[in-house]
Amino acid sequence: MRTILLVRFGEVFLKGQNRPFFMKKLIDRIKEVVGDLGGRVWMREGRIYVSDCADMDECARRVSRVFGVHSVSPAVEMDKADFAAVCEQAAAMMAPLTGTFKVLARRSDKRYPLDSPAIMREAGGVILERAPHLTVDVNHPDHVMTIEIRDHAYLSVERVMGVGGMPMGTNGKACLLLSGGIDSPVAGFMIAKRGVELCCVHYHSFPYTSERAKEKVLELARQLSEYSGKLRVLVVPFTEIQLEIHERCPENMTTLIMRRFMMRIAERLALSEGAQALVTGESIGQVASQTMEALACTDEVVSLPVFRPLIGMDKSEIVERAEAIGTFETSSLPYEDCCTIFTPKHPATHPRREQARAAEEALDAEALIAAAIEGTQAYEIG
Amino acid sequence: MIYLDNSATTRPFDGVIEAMASSMREGYYNPSAAYGPAIAAEREVRACRRAIAEQLGAREEEIVFTSGGTEGDNLAILGAAQALRSPGVFACSDIEHPAVAETIARVERMGHEVLRLPVDARGVLDLAACERLLSPRVALVSCMQVSNETGAVQPVEALSRLVKRIAPGALVHVDGVQGFLRVPMHMARMGVDLYTISAHKIHGPKGVGALAVRGGVRLAPQMTGGGQERGLRSGTLNGAGIVGLHAAVREMAARRAEVEALRGMKRRLLDDLSGLPGVTVNGPLPQEADSAPHILSLSFEGVRGEVLRNALEAEGVIVSTGSACASHKQKVSDALLAMGRTREQADGTIRVSLGLMNAPGEMDEAAARIASACEQLRRYRRR
Repeated sequence: MRTILLVRFGEVFLKGQNRPFFMKKLIDRIKEVVGDLGGRVWMREGRIYVSDCADMDECARRVSRVFGVHSVSPAVEMDKADFAAVCEQAAAMMAPLTGTFKVLARRSDKRYPLDSPAIMREAGGVILERAPHLTVDVNHPDHVMTIEIRDHAYLSVERVMGVGGMPMGTNGKACLLLSGGIDSPVAGFMIAKRGVELCCVHYHSFPYTSERAKEKVLELARQLSEYSGKLRVLVVPFTEIQLEIHERCPENMTTLIMRRFMMRIAERLALSEGAQALVTGESIGQVASQTMEALACTDEVVSLPVFRPLIGMDKSEIVERAEAIGTFETSSLPYEDCCTIFTPKHPATHPRREQARAAEEALDAEALIAAAIEGTQAYEIG
Repeated sequence: MIYLDNSATTRPFDGVIEAMASSMREGYYNPSAAYGPAIAAEREVRACRRAIAEQLGAREEEIVFTSGGTEGDNLAILGAAQALRSPGVFACSDIEHPAVAETIARVERMGHEVLRLPVDARGVLDLAACERLLSPRVALVSCMQVSNETGAVQPVEALSRLVKRIAPGALVHVDGVQGFLRVPMHMARMGVDLYTISAHKIHGPKGVGALAVRGGVRLAPQMTGGGQERGLRSGTLNGAGIVGLHAAVREMAARRAEVEALRGMKRRLLDDLSGLPGVTVNGPLPQEADSAPHILSLSFEGVRGEVLRNALEAEGVIVSTGSACASHKQKVSDALLAMGRTREQADGTIRVSLGLMNAPGEMDEAAARIASACEQLRRYRRR
């Protein structure tokens, strides 16, 4: 008898001929996250198991954060031949709990002497006998004791929901514009969840933003990497460009032009990193640079697709997501937005594309972009 | 690198590091134990007690070792509050360090009354206002000896006389974290009952300090346990830290003339900046008597302190700001606002603080960097 982790996967099930590819990516990623816990990952009869983990709770927490995992359950694996012992073990696992329960049996070994209804009945009886404070409710139980009869018997009560999505690395690579605010890490998470590998670009305006602001962004990237695995953060020196824009462009257009430069630089870095799309945390109308007109103005300067997974979300919904992912607290650290001299008092909210083009005519865009890319520093995270 | 943030912390003297290393290597015994080597360790502790007492015009048995300034302030204020039988009035100045200000706020939540004493435009306690505000019900008045933000030396002796006249039973607590060994202190003569010191502000180690408690003052201990420090502060004594503190006290005292000479460096820095327009000194000017030798607070018109600090760091000059920036609302120094500075002025402030490791030549270089950074940053003002 030993405790193992039973891993259920979601959408990968829907795959046809290329399913082995998805499964391999999923298993590789699970192996990566439990490696230092001494966990062994194996597959049998279409189910993934993790065994030999020193710390089962930590193992469950980490595996539940692997994209492609639907849910996990710590389970007791035991010899199925001694059914009385199986029932006693089920009772021992239920005894500390309170409220209502039911037993759910699954028998994939059809030669097993008892069928599923018999298993449920017998085990339920023993549990009630040993833990008379529990009552049965087959419709809305507080706890479900699942007994699966396969090569062994597997007993589990607890179920930790996974993050879902697709295994990492099965859907290409994208480049996230990571600001240090609340939105962009959530946007990155949502795209990574679809199996998309990430790289991040961050714009650093020293001395207007501090070293700590940069540290904060690297910490956010580290938090994202707990889900996505290793990623690279490219930190682009952006002060020169901001100062030039501030000097030479109409004030109401400065933020928009800054966004256009960010997109252009991100696209070039994305291509050099082998990424096929850009990801931003924008949502319609959240700020002046995120109105439909402004988004059209920023889109026109790049040809890669731009994914904006938060586009229809309210701020409160985004905050909720950030809290669930675990990036909210770091995002809220007060090192951002220190460059107030660059924020126009009355930014244009309905800019036209021709207007944006005209506004940046005074700049030597090519030279500015080349210098920024030249000064970019890469940080390997995770 | 030119390190001008000595009010945040100082680099330990080499003698401090050596004394601590040998204490950890050879004198690691518990000073409260009974055998020979422990008695030698206890002797070291006692020597430190005596050295501090001598600097403060206090007696050896009046020194209680702590983990540093914050603990000393907490023990003084909470300890006095808890020793009272009925609620009293606790007063402190408007410019106290959070270790005092927050502790006074806590005392208020415990049911005592709290009084805040105003400062004038120079950041010096307004004694006339104190006289109006203080009443015979006052139980404790806490005032820092030197403002950590502006370097303004507070009139603690006059304050103490005033307090004892209006409320003879009241205690006077002085946070001496910035003042100790930089500005004279004689507790008996100045009528100070409680005095907090911290080792790492005088080129000693972090994690150790002391509270001087005048004989006859009753405090409730904040740490209970083995009853060390006459029951006022339980916990095994930080032997190596105390040895380090002692070495720091000795060297600071021996180099008193150099400490006073820091004032000259402060003036030099300010003189070097005289060509730069839009510079204001917060607090007394370096040549004034109530200006501590080592702290200079400067506001620069049209420049944000945080940005200037970042820019100076890139040039190898380390200073601090009076303000921390919150994401949407800017948090500025309460002390500067209490002196009547505008939010914009407070936001445009940096603090330069000197230590014995600084050299006069560094002032010229730092001033040049400050001036060029300001000129650079002012070119890009918000339109």
